[in-house]
Amino acid sequence: MGVVKRISGCVATANAVKLADVDVICSYPIRPYTGIMSELARMVADGELDAEFVYGEGEHAQLSVVYGASASGARTFTGSSGVGVTYAMEVYSPISGERLPVQMAIADRTLDPPGDFGSEHTDALCTRDQGWIQGWASNPQEALDMTLMYYRIGEDPRVLLPQYACQDGYFVSHILGEVEIPDAAQVKEFLPPYKNHHVLDVRTPQIIGAQMEPKMGPGMQYQRYVAMEGSRKVIEEVHDEFGRMFGRKYDPWVEEFMTDDAEVAIFIQGGHAETGKTVVRRLRSLGEKVGLVRLRTFRPFPTEQVRNALSKFKAVGTVDNSVNFGISGAAGVLLTEARTALYGLGDKIPTVGFVAGLGGEMITHDEFYKMFMKLKEVAKAGKADKQSYWLPFEL
Amino acid sequence: MSISPNEVPFAGTVPSPKTENEGMITGSWRTRRPILDADKCTECLICWISCPDSSIKAASSGMEFNLKYCKGCGICNEVCPVGAISLVPELDFED
Repeated sequence: MGVVKRISGCVATANAVKLADVDVICSYPIRPYTGIMSELARMVADGELDAEFVYGEGEHAQLSVVYGASASGARTFTGSSGVGVTYAMEVYSPISGERLPVQMAIADRTLDPPGDFGSEHTDALCTRDQGWIQGWASNPQEALDMTLMYYRIGEDPRVLLPQYACQDGYFVSHILGEVEIPDAAQVKEFLPPYKNHHVLDVRTPQIIGAQMEPKMGPGMQYQRYVAMEGSRKVIEEVHDEFGRMFGRKYDPWVEEFMTDDAEVAIFIQGGHAETGKTVVRRLRSLGEKVGLVRLRTFRPFPTEQVRNALSKFKAVGTVDNSVNFGISGAAGVLLTEARTALYGLGDKIPTVGFVAGLGGEMITHDEFYKMFMKLKEVAKAGKADKQSYWLPFEL
Repeated sequence: MSISPNEVPFAGTVPSPKTENEGMITGSWRTRRPILDADKCTECLICWISCPDSSIKAASSGMEFNLKYCKGCGICNEVCPVGAISLVPELDFED
């Protein structure tokens, strides 16, 4: 049996990394994710975890170190926040192209400006199309579970893709929650040792990341596309097995909260969903038919599941905690992805985008309340008079 | 014409070539050709170790350039301590 502790998202992730018995960790400090590395450094120093702990000279180096380590057959872990995530941008595609199941934790932080220590999903969302599995945890327990499940998914021979395990900076990474830390022997059973497809070894010299001829390019991209699409089945299997073994059952794609007979709903990802849920509960007690759908896996995007979840409402509001200047719909990437998922259905479900919680501000109860009231208006009218609203200035 | 994804090596990873790669002949990129003055050459092997494309072979008869892969970068000319390697424009040659 595991033990229950009150720990932060950072410490929860570090515990998962320890349970996964990683071989190589590469760090570079930047708040807030750095809480994970300080805990891991302590574990290595205290002899609790036997891993090579490498100090990178920057995020580009961090990703390059785990790239090489993973190619040599090691289970690897790295992470970053904010501008650190974007500094390493060059290395993400080579890692997924080489099909190395590296895991990177991202505890969100704003880019510059404003460069404050606040959380914003912009950093991790910049990396969304690089061939990595990606999703957001909304509390420390989920951060721990996600880390374990992502290793298992990414290392599955049918997938072999790296993973971004994301959590909101501060709201998840630094706020304590009750976390059940599973038993090491049980985790070992769930997560067998990593076996690389092609091990970098002096006895069998190989060219990794070779310059390809143009005629090989399309085939290589297609391989990665097939792996990403094929990961959907594995993601479902792994969540099922995790639920059976550890007793925590997650829907791999979306979490629906009080959506039965709901007329309007908020579509959101990450820790702000927890605030949204308290507002839903309050409005329900006042007789309002409102609900909330939280996206759990962002890449691969669960088009079918989001379509099924959202198509039953009279109006849907997406909450984007990121900036996407000039994007279609003038809100954020969640709005465009949700609309794309719904469009093929032929239904005319009005969707409205809300941009909220920027700069690390929390999305307040009052703001969620205003969003729901706006959605009620939209549901009644059958259409929205504006594509999107920036909070708190436009609503 | 694109190669089928099933025929492309997994993740583009291939065994290190022990011989020449016929699929990537780079000699046609060259605008200047290295020419060796065998009388000046001391066979110090500095050009051999400096060639980024391993296009210089240390043969028993002396240094040889593999023109199928030599891109004509001129590093050998630059590093030769006795000035035994000159670079001649490709247009000066018939072939």
